[in-house]
Amino acid sequence: MIKKLRKKPYIWFLMPGLILYSVFIIYPIFAAGQLSLYYWNGIGEKVFVGFQNYIDLFTNKDLMSQMMNALRHSLTIFALTVCIAIPVQVTMAYMVYSKAKGGNYFQVAIFSPQFISTPVIVFIFTLIFDGNIGIVNKLMEVAGLGAYTRSWLGIPQYGIYIVWAMITWAGIGVGMMYFIGAMKMIGRDSLECAYMEGAGFWKRLWYIILPQIRMTILNLVLVSYIVSMTIFDFSYILGGTSGGINRNVDVMSLFFYRMAFGDTNPLGGNVSANSMGMGTAVACVLFLMIFMIALLQLLLVYRKEED
Amino acid sequence: MKTRDMMSRHQGKTAGLVKLFLWIYSSFTFFMLVYMMYHSLRPRQDILSNTFGKPEKLSLDNYIKLIVKDHFFRYFGNSVMILAVSLALLVFISSITAYGIARYRFKGRKFLRVYFLVGLMFPIQLGIVPVFQIMKNLNLINHPLSVILVSAANISMPVFMLTDFFAGLPREIYEASLIDGAGEWMTFRKIMFPMASPIVFSVCITVSVQIWNQFFLPLIFLQKDVAKTVPLLVVKYTGKLINTMDLAMAVSTLSTIPILLLFLVFSQKILDGVTAGGVKG
Repeated sequence: MIKKLRKKPYIWFLMPGLILYSVFIIYPIFAAGQLSLYYWNGIGEKVFVGFQNYIDLFTNKDLMSQMMNALRHSLTIFALTVCIAIPVQVTMAYMVYSKAKGGNYFQVAIFSPQFISTPVIVFIFTLIFDGNIGIVNKLMEVAGLGAYTRSWLGIPQYGIYIVWAMITWAGIGVGMMYFIGAMKMIGRDSLECAYMEGAGFWKRLWYIILPQIRMTILNLVLVSYIVSMTIFDFSYILGGTSGGINRNVDVMSLFFYRMAFGDTNPLGGNVSANSMGMGTAVACVLFLMIFMIALLQLLLVYRKEED
Repeated sequence: MKTRDMMSRHQGKTAGLVKLFLWIYSSFTFFMLVYMMYHSLRPRQDILSNTFGKPEKLSLDNYIKLIVKDHFFRYFGNSVMILAVSLALLVFISSITAYGIARYRFKGRKFLRVYFLVGLMFPIQLGIVPVFQIMKNLNLINHPLSVILVSAANISMPVFMLTDFFAGLPREIYEASLIDGAGEWMTFRKIMFPMASPIVFSVCITVSVQIWNQFFLPLIFLQKDVAKTVPLLVVKYTGKLINTMDLAMAVSTLSTIPILLLFLVFSQKILDGVTAGGVKG
């Protein structure tokens, strides 16, 4: 045995990573798949119920409406990110890339919220939008719009947009840096050529740069999809386990958390008798939603590369 | 030099507007941080009832309360410890794994590459119930090791980046080192790993931000105060702002400003690292 291993040194290199990664990243999803076939609360007796949890999830009116609400919010975040954040990121990246004055300063300033932890980001947004101490209201008063001041964070319809704004403010720098990286890979020749031909600043972005960074854009779209399906911190901090007033900031990941760990805290609290079974069922549905889209994207990318 | 000039000239009016907007946006970020710092020096009542007025007094009382009475540095220590151990473990494991895949020819090599990459589609959140059961069986709930192990297992991206790098190194270096009498392990540790340091640096940056700011794993695994990390402490104060406005300001400032200062000092290096990671991904 030892002799055999000596001949195959790569086993030593691969083993630790393989074990750790398999146990904590890959296995849990399959274990969740198995658990989702049981009626279980994590402590008591496990009863095999087949697909009953899934049937319950899709037929129970309350659960279904909670899930649809959460899904709608997650997809809203995704759509806003793709339609607004990604174009903005490309523009910012282009500004830095083309050495606009202050480019380095933008880069640092736009990226820095990345280093602020989620609770602090939520807190900063409170300082801006709060009804009593918020800066926005104060500015409106000064501008003579005192009649329109409100407690912005307390308006249910705006909840999910505020969550999106927080996510975007915090994370916009990462995508920007990726785009800058992708732009730096483009040959200067084509740009110079276009410049000589008289293509303006924005035309160069549209016709020369965009086509060449489309893979990066596609990747970022996929990443945004996965993020919007799994984002948890902002909604949890802003609206608690229940997802805010009328679940106005609820998202898929928070819905899953509520099912699995109950309405108050991870241990005890308002946990249903089937928390683990139903929780893992939700996790599996969510996982399939992520996996199918990711697979679709991979296929698309492979096709493109083969052409 | 010429190309640089060409790129920065003739940007037009729209570009000017965009730039103006970026100046305002960027400055606003820094303004908010300074604003937070300023308020962290004021007593609670003063912030709440006289937010925009002249401050009653400025003092470090909030910080003293935070550090002495609420053990800020215990939380900070927990965060630092979790970050340091997870990062070391993650870098070690992902580089030997990547090296194993890239350096040696064996059956299943292609499969392993894909296997380590699919983790990108397996968000930790979704598997948390089984992981919670594992940690409970190992008696690791409320132990930092629970967060560390899961954080360090998330090696898809680092392995992907490092495999590419190691596969690109010329085989001669490896062979020369073996001929010189260094074993497999020595070759990796003394020759190959040091060469990967730019990629490792880039991995460290992206991963450490994630680990430092992570909220979900500590929330699930660290339920006792002695084990909690900084983000959990912040939530404790920002949850009921009316009662703890002063401490919320102080803890937000204290947990944010030092990290940001570090970032500002090394910003060029850090941003280059992030960019390098993005190109690979």
